[in-house]
Amino acid sequence: MSSITDRLVGLLGADAVLPVDGYEVDGLTPQAVVRPGDRLQVSEVLRWASAERLSVLPRGGGTRTGLGNVPQSADLVLDLGGLNQLVDYQPADMTATVEAGVTLASLQQQLAPGGEFVPLESALPSRSTVGGALSVGAGGPLAHAYGLPREWLIGIGVISPQGVATKAGGKVVKNVTGYDLDKLYTGSLGTLGVIVEASFKLLPIDPEAGALMASFPSLSASITAGRKLLHSPAAPLGYHCVTSGVSPRLPDFLQTASQDLGLGETGSILSLAFFSGRAKATSRRLEEAAALLLAEGANTVQQIEGSVSSGMLGWISDAPSEMSPDSALVMKLSVQTKSATSVSAECGEITLFGERPEQMTDPGFGSIRLFWPKTTGDTGEQQFLETIQQIRQIAHQHGGSAIVEQCPLPIKRGIDVWGDPLDSLAVMRRIKDKFDPGGILNPGRFLGGI
Amino acid sequence: MDFQEFLARLQSIVGEENVVHHSDDLLVFEYDGSVDRGLPRAVVFPASTDEVSRILTLAHEAGIPVVGRGTGTGLSGGAIAPPGGIQVAFPRMNHILEVDTENRLALVEPGVINLNLDTHVRKVGLRYAPDPSSQRACSLGGNVAENAGGPHCLAYGTTTNHVLGMEVVLEDGSVVNLGSLARETVGYDLRGVFTGSEGTFGIATKIAVRLLPVPESVRTFLGIFPDVGSACTAVSAIIEHGIVPAALEMIDALTIQAVQKVSDAGYPEDAGAVLLIELEGLRDEVDEIGNEVEAALWDTGATQVRTAEAAEEREQLWVGRKGALGALGSIAPNYFLVDGVVPRTKLAQVLGQVAEISRKYDIPIANVFHAGDGNLHPCLLFDERQPGAIEKIVEAGTEVLQVCVDAGGTLTGEHGVGLEKKEQMPLVFSENDMAAMLSVREAFAPDNLLNPGKIFPDGKQHKHTAHPAAPGMTI
Repeated sequence: MSSITDRLVGLLGADAVLPVDGYEVDGLTPQAVVRPGDRLQVSEVLRWASAERLSVLPRGGGTRTGLGNVPQSADLVLDLGGLNQLVDYQPADMTATVEAGVTLASLQQQLAPGGEFVPLESALPSRSTVGGALSVGAGGPLAHAYGLPREWLIGIGVISPQGVATKAGGKVVKNVTGYDLDKLYTGSLGTLGVIVEASFKLLPIDPEAGALMASFPSLSASITAGRKLLHSPAAPLGYHCVTSGVSPRLPDFLQTASQDLGLGETGSILSLAFFSGRAKATSRRLEEAAALLLAEGANTVQQIEGSVSSGMLGWISDAPSEMSPDSALVMKLSVQTKSATSVSAECGEITLFGERPEQMTDPGFGSIRLFWPKTTGDTGEQQFLETIQQIRQIAHQHGGSAIVEQCPLPIKRGIDVWGDPLDSLAVMRRIKDKFDPGGILNPGRFLGGI
Repeated sequence: MDFQEFLARLQSIVGEENVVHHSDDLLVFEYDGSVDRGLPRAVVFPASTDEVSRILTLAHEAGIPVVGRGTGTGLSGGAIAPPGGIQVAFPRMNHILEVDTENRLALVEPGVINLNLDTHVRKVGLRYAPDPSSQRACSLGGNVAENAGGPHCLAYGTTTNHVLGMEVVLEDGSVVNLGSLARETVGYDLRGVFTGSEGTFGIATKIAVRLLPVPESVRTFLGIFPDVGSACTAVSAIIEHGIVPAALEMIDALTIQAVQKVSDAGYPEDAGAVLLIELEGLRDEVDEIGNEVEAALWDTGATQVRTAEAAEEREQLWVGRKGALGALGSIAPNYFLVDGVVPRTKLAQVLGQVAEISRKYDIPIANVFHAGDGNLHPCLLFDERQPGAIEKIVEAGTEVLQVCVDAGGTLTGEHGVGLEKKEQMPLVFSENDMAAMLSVREAFAPDNLLNPGKIFPDGKQHKHTAHPAAPGMTI
């Protein structure tokens, strides 16, 4: 037992200290893992770690542990799973306050009886936590309609690296009192403080949901049709195109529906569109959207019932995590939405060891994920770097950025997965230095090695 | 560098005609829409990012505080010049640089008037959603600084939900880009924390905003209620139906009287409250939800319900609401406007407490507010010529804010803290909370030369002067 573990047992008791197995980050095994039961214990751990200058890696459900640069060090993993209470939910106010370790699935379940939900999306929602989803700050499959987690966060409770509890925002849906630190913490990957509590504004659950599945002869046809649909009155909440290496991973309950789409044919593209609203309006959207997609070149279009459509939404949300184990390199681009077609086409030509990437494209949000398959024997570092550089150039040309979500560890050690420095990096560094002068939180994992 | 030399160098940057420095000319820049005043030492009108950058570089070198000024419609003193400071104003940087219909975004200069942008993009079937009631006059740069709201923010969010990226000039004159034209960016969300920083982080010189499609159908409902309590019940009933209207606004009896005095908005003299509801979306949805809204209004005690769909008729229903603040001038020479927010379920309770404060201080209080998101706007009416009136009003206003905070709410929903509410910040935030906020300011503006003395308490109560209630003033 390391002395760090001893000290943590002394601080929080033996129950709060966990075995380190399964908590590795980028090949680094932490010296200890601690799981506080409440925010006071989070404060205690951080105060102590700060004094001892131990690096601390906050962790939610561990679903996105690979995101970010390789940490400079990993002394202590701070597992927030113990902070798992719904603190306050007032359906009539359409707001909820929740502890950071609550999983997204559990939160939505607790809101559902009130007829509401929080538009916070993440892969693997039964493991992914509120704090984790906020720290990553990324959009999900319906980001075209709901935007990023930042749009729904109205208040936040954070423990500083020195162990001091602070808050920003509040519990009301409209608030300009003080600086909007909610936005700063969201997407900061736990480098500024440890999120312990969050308040959200909620939306009513629409009475009717539905979806369309369509097949297209090419990716560009699917994206072009999708953009027309997104700009029509029948606009879906989200529209997604996936290439033929992704679609065979459709779960069983969707296989039947997808049989008529002829996805087996080489190069055929699966497109998904999600809708919700009042019953009559939803039927109209589905009908008009199906007609539009057919008119724009879809081979076939299949309507998916409400209950199945939610499973389909879950699938498209989880698909990137499913693709990852078989991928050598995963990159995510965010570009101007109008560039989706050309970016997708250009990226499709960029090979890694002779292989083209599989693609998942969200033309409404301008987000494109690329998966290059694992190939046997090839580990040439230069090849990876060239591919990454080529993709970044494409992203920059279209007003966006490209991050490396997954690559072999030796490659990862040599790059900034977030991309080239921005002109605002100096301000970001100053913020980091003010919030975490000891540099103990997730050291090195953020943009520019922050 | 003495001030004369500073002035000369300012003039060399923008031209003599674009620097105001004679005290008579400066008077119009002394105030904004709040009760605070402060005379700038100079006001400068740059024409480009480069000029803004050179102005800030010069001011930084001279150690002179700077505040960006939009059109002076702000309601919390945000644009009031800090002591010894200058204002940078943007009448020359008022161009819509690009409307990109494919990306659904617009790139604008900070001096563009909010409504002008909206009107411009509606020609191509798009809209700019945030609509502060001062939208005919207020500028996008000011909207960003204050994170401005408006009636339609209930459904679409405030300014911060619509800003994609910005070019900003920092305290030392350096130019940086925050956010991007893509929806997701890497690094800290600096455009998010910049929005609503009330001019203390930098000056935005280009702003990229999202545009939304104009909805297929819009319908406005006006419900007349015997009292505020039943109108609040109607608000709850609508939300319980799972309905989030595009806008949900209320005005109370005193406001109704004022409105009717100025021009006939069609409100019955004895009405206790008027509720305005706007629905937007697909025609099918607006029809279906509209029926539910109408039923909810009758069920909760409405004595009259009017609806309109054509733009001109809808405008007619909005006339009373939009002209409400200006109309208050018909019943009192001055007003002091509070911007507290409460949870929606606490609206009726807090309005009751506000009425008690009105009786206690013997101050008439008119309420015009964004009921859908719990954003109150109690207007404390007074006559500045009466000795001690302002002090009494400020004290009563603080009490109103205390009531909002006690109900689980906050100090300001859309007007900003500015000078007006900085001493009340401790009602909501601890020393530690504010220290975290201040550390962000130190990162953006280490020398604290951008709009110093705002937002955070420093024990220096600014000298209040009353602002006359006048037609054209809006919230």
